[in-house]
Amino acid sequence: MSNESKPEVLEAPASTESITRVRRISDNQPKSGLEAFKYNLQFIRGRGAFEISIVLLVLLAGYVVAGLIIPNDFPFLDSNNLSGVISQAVPVLAILGIGAGILMVADEFDLSLGASLTFNAIVFIQVDAKFGLFPAIIAAILSGALIALINGAIVVFTKIPSFIATLGMSFFWAGASIWENGTEAAMIEDKNRNGLMEFLFAHDFGVFRSQLVWLVIVGVSAWFFLHRHRLGNHIFAVGGNTAAAEAISINPRKVKLMAFAIYGGLVGLASIMIAVRTSSMQAGGNATQDFTLFAIAAAVVGGTSLQGGRGSVIGMICGAALIELIKNGLILGQAPYFYITVFVGITIVIASIFNKLMEGKAR
Amino acid sequence: MSNALLRLDGITKKYGPNTVLDNVSFEIGKNEVVGLLGDNGAGKSTLVKIMSGVVPATGGDYYWDGSKVEHVNREETERLGVETIFQDSALVPQMTITRNIFMGREITNALGFMKMKEMDTIAAEVLDSVVSIEGIKSPKQLVQSLSGGQAQAVAIARAVHFKRSLLILDEPTSALAVRATEALLDYLRQLKGEGVSSVLVTHNLHHAYQVCDRHIVMNHGRKILDVRKEETSVEELTAAVVGGAEGVRAYRASLGN
Repeated sequence: MSNESKPEVLEAPASTESITRVRRISDNQPKSGLEAFKYNLQFIRGRGAFEISIVLLVLLAGYVVAGLIIPNDFPFLDSNNLSGVISQAVPVLAILGIGAGILMVADEFDLSLGASLTFNAIVFIQVDAKFGLFPAIIAAILSGALIALINGAIVVFTKIPSFIATLGMSFFWAGASIWENGTEAAMIEDKNRNGLMEFLFAHDFGVFRSQLVWLVIVGVSAWFFLHRHRLGNHIFAVGGNTAAAEAISINPRKVKLMAFAIYGGLVGLASIMIAVRTSSMQAGGNATQDFTLFAIAAAVVGGTSLQGGRGSVIGMICGAALIELIKNGLILGQAPYFYITVFVGITIVIASIFNKLMEGKAR
Repeated sequence: MSNALLRLDGITKKYGPNTVLDNVSFEIGKNEVVGLLGDNGAGKSTLVKIMSGVVPATGGDYYWDGSKVEHVNREETERLGVETIFQDSALVPQMTITRNIFMGREITNALGFMKMKEMDTIAAEVLDSVVSIEGIKSPKQLVQSLSGGQAQAVAIARAVHFKRSLLILDEPTSALAVRATEALLDYLRQLKGEGVSSVLVTHNLHHAYQVCDRHIVMNHGRKILDVRKEETSVEELTAAVVGGAEGVRAYRASLGN
């Protein structure tokens, strides 16, 4: 053994500074304006809002150009269309999309949204008739929050998947609406609808309506809450990895219940807008049922993950706007009704595939 | 006895009919680095979860600085200053590095809104200074875009930033590159001087032997060896981990011959 020489030590290539020196984060900071732009861009891509807002802007640009060139065949820029259709439809779906989206970031969703809309709207109309507008607004929002909290409590404490629990509750609240009001439509009296209620929830400012103001208020507050507040951060943490959040002493139950309550409050607000727009609400009808899946679709199109932990308020708004714009474009282009559902369906699926691809690329 | 920071007395943990930990007692002294060793299934990870308050013990007592802690949970251990790096790293992949590091302990203004710039700056500093890991471009990166080693570095950075009295590291070096491992081991040595105790849970006996003052070896849910570094050797620890109590006896007998 001792006679054997040890294996010779081989020479490695002479090390250069780039090999021996550890690259630190501070070495990677951008130096010029263009570098800073590229640097920041890489942390926006694939996080939900960026791609969908570009798609939305392109579509919007196309609509505006078409509206300018052929205003008679495609009256997109007509004030009747802008204030009468766009600024009434987009805010309602966007507010519902933000609500459903926040809940999805927490890794839950609620299939009783449509039933809750009907119930809250009836609460709004009945309380308004008896006690006036402001008690009615508060009652409708509280009703939405309470319904969502009950759903949330069932999901959180029994650990039944929210799909099943809220599907069941959907039938319950649809029945509760009929029990409360009967099958005849609840109507807002004309003398109540005009004045402050009309100004707050349906006033026509020419090219936009009050609903759009609500969307701005809700959108800005939701953005600051979800993306800049510590509680919003906890929603992402719980939705992304519950065990990790728990290990760091975040209580997942509390966070999920909070997400349900916020979502429910937004559903309450949206139900007021729907009730005021149509002046009535019929229990047992299915006018509000579509909103359940459209709200989830708006969030998904806007880059919210169905697995939780990922989503952005800007994306949710863009998703809702995209769906409503496509509907609007098809109606203006006088497409037959079944085309509309076909195209909306295709949009949702393509957007989801696209988001899935981008999700993998997110840095 | 009085010098112990943490003392576990007769800790037992059962999952249904399975006894994972059987009457385990030991101390972690102040300013001490303790190695917790053992093969897979020895009960190390369960012990870590009990020490850090994530999982309650079935039986046994938990003493902190000489006084008994009645209800051991994560809120309580956080108050005591216990910080843990879990084996499965416990990060949220969809969130940024900064948000992971400050998860649950965000720096906020009076209204609860986060100070993003301040958190980003601190996160970058901690990552640069403690774990010299390469390839992380920015604290704004999502954790899902990191390699296993980089993610582990983030988990370590978080624990190190918030540690106050006891730092528990569960397999911290398993995914780290050689240079990052060396940096971490250096850091553990340095911690002793700062009044922080640490527990290093690892398969890698050489890493443990390098930095730990004392070694505890677990085998099938029991503590079989609890020795100071001066009283043992890498060979004896290897025998204990591989062969259990029998292995240690055989090794000691072979030394006698």
